[in-house]
Amino acid sequence: MKLNTPSLAMAAVMLCLLLVGTTLSAHHSFSAFNMDSEETITGKVRQVDWTNPHIWIWLDVANEDGEEETWGMEGMSPNYLARRGWTKDTLQTGDEITATIRPMKDGKKGGMFVRTTLGDGTTLTMGGGSN
Amino acid sequence: MSKLHFLSLLGAVTIIAVLASSTSAQFYTTAVPTPEDWAELSELPDLNGVWERGGGGGRGRGRGGGTPLSPTPEYTSIRDTLAERGAEDSETATCPPPGMPGIMTQPYPMEFLLTPGKVTIIIEAYTQVRHIYTDGRTLPENPDTLFFGNSIGHWEGDTLVVESIGFSELVQIARNLPHGDNMRIDERFNLTGPDTMTIETTITDPDALTAPYTTTATLARHRDWTIAEYICEENNRNFMDAGGKAGIILDNPGGLPR
Repeated sequence: MKLNTPSLAMAAVMLCLLLVGTTLSAHHSFSAFNMDSEETITGKVRQVDWTNPHIWIWLDVANEDGEEETWGMEGMSPNYLARRGWTKDTLQTGDEITATIRPMKDGKKGGMFVRTTLGDGTTLTMGGGSN
Repeated sequence: MSKLHFLSLLGAVTIIAVLASSTSAQFYTTAVPTPEDWAELSELPDLNGVWERGGGGGRGRGRGGGTPLSPTPEYTSIRDTLAERGAEDSETATCPPPGMPGIMTQPYPMEFLLTPGKVTIIIEAYTQVRHIYTDGRTLPENPDTLFFGNSIGHWEGDTLVVESIGFSELVQIARNLPHGDNMRIDERFNLTGPDTMTIETTITDPDALTAPYTTTATLARHRDWTIAEYICEENNRNFMDAGGKAGIILDNPGGLPR
């Protein structure tokens, strides 16, 4: 499994962010997500859109029949994340991850990114405060 | 009258008409800044730099104190009616920026620039700019209605005092609470430490509020930050449908959201 190894400083930042916990959004409500539920998905990173107003992490996940499906995970903005330790290369195409999301209410294959733990034990979150 | 004379007269009338229309449009000519004007800036509290609400790290919204929001009976009814629609989101989901006062409460930094006769606030969220004139001009008597209103400022000791009037009907005092034609926003900016500032914001609205609504925000200056680009339309997948339901476009993964 190929994984980036974040620096020790970044790992410290991520730990702090993990302790903060909740995520925050600037321009839209959380109503499309089931905020009371968390689920995990495991797969290979297809692409990271390092874009405003939100980053999108696309994950290729095998379904019960072994067919590959692409899930979309919405994160905070690159502006917000770059000030908190992330870069556009923190997650890269081909990385195998298990991610925790707050799933879409409408059942579509996606959700709000909550966290993932890398191979070295570092946990990546969105960080931030409450809204 | 010869044809030539007639054309000359027509030309003169046209010029007068153009001049008359330009003087009625409330243009204000700022004086050319002198070296003394630039030097005077160094005597003012240094609000320059990149600021973010809260104590840093994005924790908390840096909001506290103040007076309660007290809508008039008429606007309480309007607010209740709007709330009953049960909209899950607001228009900003599709990228129009919030105007005042909401634009000043975003979880993104703002850069303050002090130049002779003007304070400029560059707001990262939605890539917005507020223009606050400190050159002695007065507020317009018949203002255009704008997202940020029309703003002038002056200094009272170490406090920057900003007055704004004339707001677009597309902006709201708070969620589901529109404003009246005569809403006025007064802001007081104060340095409270080397890299801390408070903004006291008072909204007065004789139609919508029974009493002034005051809040105080605390901001931290980040000397090592710069303002980043924020083009909301770049890759926005959020929307609210006609029924007020929030949704997300998941089509075309890794491409544009359509």
